[in-house]
Amino acid sequence: MTMVIAAGLLEPNVGLIVWISITFLALLLLLRRFAWGPITSALSAREAGIKESLEQAERALSEAKEIQVENTRARREAGASAQRVLREARDGAERLRSVEIDKTKDKILHMQEMARQEIEREKDSALDSLRMEVADLAITAAEKILKESLDKGRQQKIVADFLGDLSKN
Amino acid sequence: MTPRKLHLLVLLALAMISAGPGRVGATVMSPWYQDEARAVEHEESGSLEAGQVSSEPGQEAGEHAPVEKLDPVHHGIDSNYLDFEPFGKLQLPRIFFVRRADGSMGLDMYRSTLIAMEDGYTPDMEEGAHGAYLDAEMVPPLNREVIIDFSITKHLVFAWISMLIMLLVFIGLANRYKRGIGRETEPKGILQNMMESLILFVRDEIARPNLGAKTDKYLPYLLTAFFFILTCNLLGLFPYSATATSNIMITGVLASFTFVLTQSGGTKEYWKHIFWPPGVPVMVKPILIPVEILGLFTRPFALAIRLFANMTAGHLVILSLIGLIFTFGDLFGSIGGYGVAPISVAFSLFIYLLELLVALIQAYVFTMLSALFIGMAVKEHQHEQVDPVSNH
Repeated sequence: MTMVIAAGLLEPNVGLIVWISITFLALLLLLRRFAWGPITSALSAREAGIKESLEQAERALSEAKEIQVENTRARREAGASAQRVLREARDGAERLRSVEIDKTKDKILHMQEMARQEIEREKDSALDSLRMEVADLAITAAEKILKESLDKGRQQKIVADFLGDLSKN
Repeated sequence: MTPRKLHLLVLLALAMISAGPGRVGATVMSPWYQDEARAVEHEESGSLEAGQVSSEPGQEAGEHAPVEKLDPVHHGIDSNYLDFEPFGKLQLPRIFFVRRADGSMGLDMYRSTLIAMEDGYTPDMEEGAHGAYLDAEMVPPLNREVIIDFSITKHLVFAWISMLIMLLVFIGLANRYKRGIGRETEPKGILQNMMESLILFVRDEIARPNLGAKTDKYLPYLLTAFFFILTCNLLGLFPYSATATSNIMITGVLASFTFVLTQSGGTKEYWKHIFWPPGVPVMVKPILIPVEILGLFTRPFALAIRLFANMTAGHLVILSLIGLIFTFGDLFGSIGGYGVAPISVAFSLFIYLLELLVALIQAYVFTMLSALFIGMAVKEHQHEQVDPVSNH
């Protein structure tokens, strides 16, 4: 029985089958140990890393979006509160001013009143003193006129009555 | 082992292969001398004179070297030498596992066919030898009987070259990944990017869809098969090289690996499907069971034949197209030969490019079908999902 190679595409060759089986098995084992293991694990690690990064980015993005929404709301709120503060301040100022004006008005009124009273008082006292002066003058005049006819008490009474009638009129 | 040391080792191995026959040992003989003479004659004759040689191979043999005919099939088949015509032929070592006259077993090892002939082996020129002793069957001396011929052949050498290329490329790549290139950073360089996309293709498009959770277990085999076939296919497109995958023995061994992996990983359900197919009447089962059992073997058989036929066919077509030049030269003189040459060359270029495509496609098809067959056997099937009736 000879198994030596000869022409023909389908000629069996047991030796080659043995050789190629050993070759392929060795190749498979060597590559599995030294190549495919490290390569596939590295690829898986990288893929996991990329997935992780993507998820992180996704999370960061959603966080950023949330923050942005938050910020927008805060800004709007801040704006609103600023408006409110401004309005309140304006109102307060307005109120303060009107109060101030009222106060001033009152003061002025009060002062006017005081002045009027003062004037009244001054006028009264002036009138009194005028009256006294007039009385004195009248007395002196009457005294001079009626030096002998009437004593001083009587004259005074008559003048006082007269003056009293005057002030009543 | 550092990558540099590995490179040195590979170079050494390549050097040893190329040193080949007749270089070492006491009887230093040139294996080339006869071939060179024949090459010169071949050059002079110009066109092929097939008829002369094949009609009377026995007479021509031995005395003066006959003209080699351009035989596409002969070019494609395995041989015990590397063909570097017109520079000569590099004879490969012959190793015979023999039974000697005294009944003991042993190995007869020779650096070349020529040296084997010196030791008493004679070429059998009668059968398909094309009149060349290198292509002839070796008949052992009378006191010995060859049991298995372990001779190194052309296809084996190119399978080894593919293996070396793969080891170099992928162990080199693995070291890159170990250093962090591709793991923490992006892959750098054409080679890494290219190989990575292929590896990812095998993993994501071939292994994952078919194997599911068992991807990791079978991925090394699928990757090895894919890249081995691809490397062999592409290597066969280089001048002076041979396509290891155009050898039925080699594709058969590859298919056997798929077969063994399929059957060894088979689930209980897988075997039940074969020996007691569910969902068919009992009467049909006796017909179906043999069909299923036959199916176990036809699938890997088809794998082997498909790859072998595809890789052989391309080379046959190219060589036939080139052969047209000489046929036309013979029929219509040199004008005919020159006239048809541009067409032949254009067509063979087209087939060559097609072969480039086929090299990839066949590697893909083999791996894809292997994954499919293994997946069919090892995957845990969910029948609840397949059969909607049982859900209600």
